Amino acid sequence: MKKGVSVTTMPAVASPVPETASRRRQRLRMSPLERSRRRLFVPFVYPALLVYAAVMVAPTVFTLWISLNHWAGAGPMQWAGLSNYTRMFKDPVFRTSFVNTFWIVFGVGVGVFAIAFLLTMLLHDMVGRKLARAVVFFPSLVPGIAISILWGFLFNYPDGLVDTLLVKLGVDHPPAWLAQDNAFKTILVGMMWLTTGTYTVIFMAAVDRIPRELYEAAELEGAGPFARFRHVTFPLMRDIVSVCSVLWCVGALKTFEFLLTFSAQDGALPSPKLWNFAMYSYGEAFNPDGVPDYGISSACGVIVLVLTGGLAVLSRRILRKDSVTY
Amino acid sequence: MTHTVTSPSAGRRLTSRGWLHWSLVPFAWLLVAADILVILWMILSSLKSTRDMVLTPWSWPSEFLWSNYQDAWVAGEFGAGVLNSLILIVGSGVGCILLTAPAAYALSRFRSRLAGAHTIFFVIGLGIPAQTIFIPLYVVFDRAGLVDSIGGLMLIYIGTGVPYALFLLTAFFRSLPGELEEAAAIDGAGPWYTFWRIMFPLARSGLITIFVLQAIGHWGETFFALVMLRHRTTLSLSLYNFAINMQYSGNRYNVLFAGLIILILPLLILYIILGRRIIEGIAAGYSK
Repeated sequence: MKKGVSVTTMPAVASPVPETASRRRQRLRMSPLERSRRRLFVPFVYPALLVYAAVMVAPTVFTLWISLNHWAGAGPMQWAGLSNYTRMFKDPVFRTSFVNTFWIVFGVGVGVFAIAFLLTMLLHDMVGRKLARAVVFFPSLVPGIAISILWGFLFNYPDGLVDTLLVKLGVDHPPAWLAQDNAFKTILVGMMWLTTGTYTVIFMAAVDRIPRELYEAAELEGAGPFARFRHVTFPLMRDIVSVCSVLWCVGALKTFEFLLTFSAQDGALPSPKLWNFAMYSYGEAFNPDGVPDYGISSACGVIVLVLTGGLAVLSRRILRKDSVTY
Repeated sequence: MTHTVTSPSAGRRLTSRGWLHWSLVPFAWLLVAADILVILWMILSSLKSTRDMVLTPWSWPSEFLWSNYQDAWVAGEFGAGVLNSLILIVGSGVGCILLTAPAAYALSRFRSRLAGAHTIFFVIGLGIPAQTIFIPLYVVFDRAGLVDSIGGLMLIYIGTGVPYALFLLTAFFRSLPGELEEAAAIDGAGPWYTFWRIMFPLARSGLITIFVLQAIGHWGETFFALVMLRHRTTLSLSLYNFAINMQYSGNRYNVLFAGLIILILPLLILYIILGRRIIEGIAAGYSK
């Protein structure tokens, strides 16, 4: 029975007709199965497409439009051209947000990737690697808001856990981790802890697929650990690192939850010194202490979108080169 | 590849473990130990009084204050939050999968000329950040009376979940064998029937992975919940409200930590049960 099936229908279904072949010939060779399936393409695909377009694509277009207008959410829009963007770039809070976002994307990014690489190399042949991997990964499942509350408590000054520990260890003046100038650095470290696990897991999966022989060969040639990493591991992981750095940029640019609970001053939002683009965008529209300015908020949203796209293309370009097959 | 004849000890492999390896291994275990200790410490802290928590953070609780959890559940509105978060997770997870699975199936197996362009259109969504879409969504939902509605928020979770689910599921459907579909077609089953009765159940494990990954994401989702809800609450909003109101209502860190545990413990349990599936699901999404 099964043999019969493959004889009668396989040629049409499974032979890889190149897309460039003339459509007429393709149609003639198409099986009834294939034809009835084509009719169902729209009913299968379009429900998801419509919901996705309504929730993600249409709002993106609308945001582009709002960013070119003055609008407080109610009442008529007023054409503003690019003035929202110019006003925004003059706003010192936006500049701080810019710098902070930069630190999150690149500072934390470099740290996360470096630690993840190091852990990958270490865990590769460590006893108990499965357990270690499982534990290191868990923080990245925990919602950012929970970790940030924990972080705020641990580093509270002077009665937070870290400082009391330091005092016990004989440090006279433990640092005020969450004071104006330090808070953001403390937050950066927290983010590293939060996300390292994800990339460790992905890198480990990638390393596991590298054939052992390559390492043995490298070792026979006298390559030390660094040389092995530089000449075997990294080239073969380049593609995954490139995908990961795209996803890192996408995720890091919209960091929001982790900053949200660091409200040192009273008021619902954290001090503007801690803002990033996501917080700026939210703050301009929904800050309880301010007048909503949807135009500026949208402009910032557009900047985030453009940066996401730009960084994605850039990191693909830099890391892609020619991918190595093995 | 052929294998050279090697004694087991020569196949010891990979890396000769130099000083570097041995000096860094403690670092890895330190990290592991720190992670475990933090969680244990959080659980213990959630059972202390605030006074004990601050003054003797390192000692075993002098008495177990289970009432912290009751306070969090009722006064901190974590109970209401948990209920709404569960509704959101189940509703958006099931909704997203029922919508996306047929689309992913069609895009990966119908060999239509349109498939490539459509897939790209979907995948672009992976790069659209929440901050770029929240204002129009808020404005439109406000006019439609969907602000402060769990259903409205669920719709957003479904829509924003589509690109990722589709991305993973197309890869998954592509890996399934084609013979079953052909056999079904010979038996006279239409594509619709073939999909729902044969391929959909066959994709069960991929679908469950997607559901679990999205559930984890939505369990603590804060941004859209904060934008869209006013009086209703989700778990993460309850936590947020409790945390920022502590400066007025007194520092009840113990109740706050009980709330944290209510948020984290289900994740931990889920992770212990489904850990491998979660890890492999995430790794698979990136590596193909």
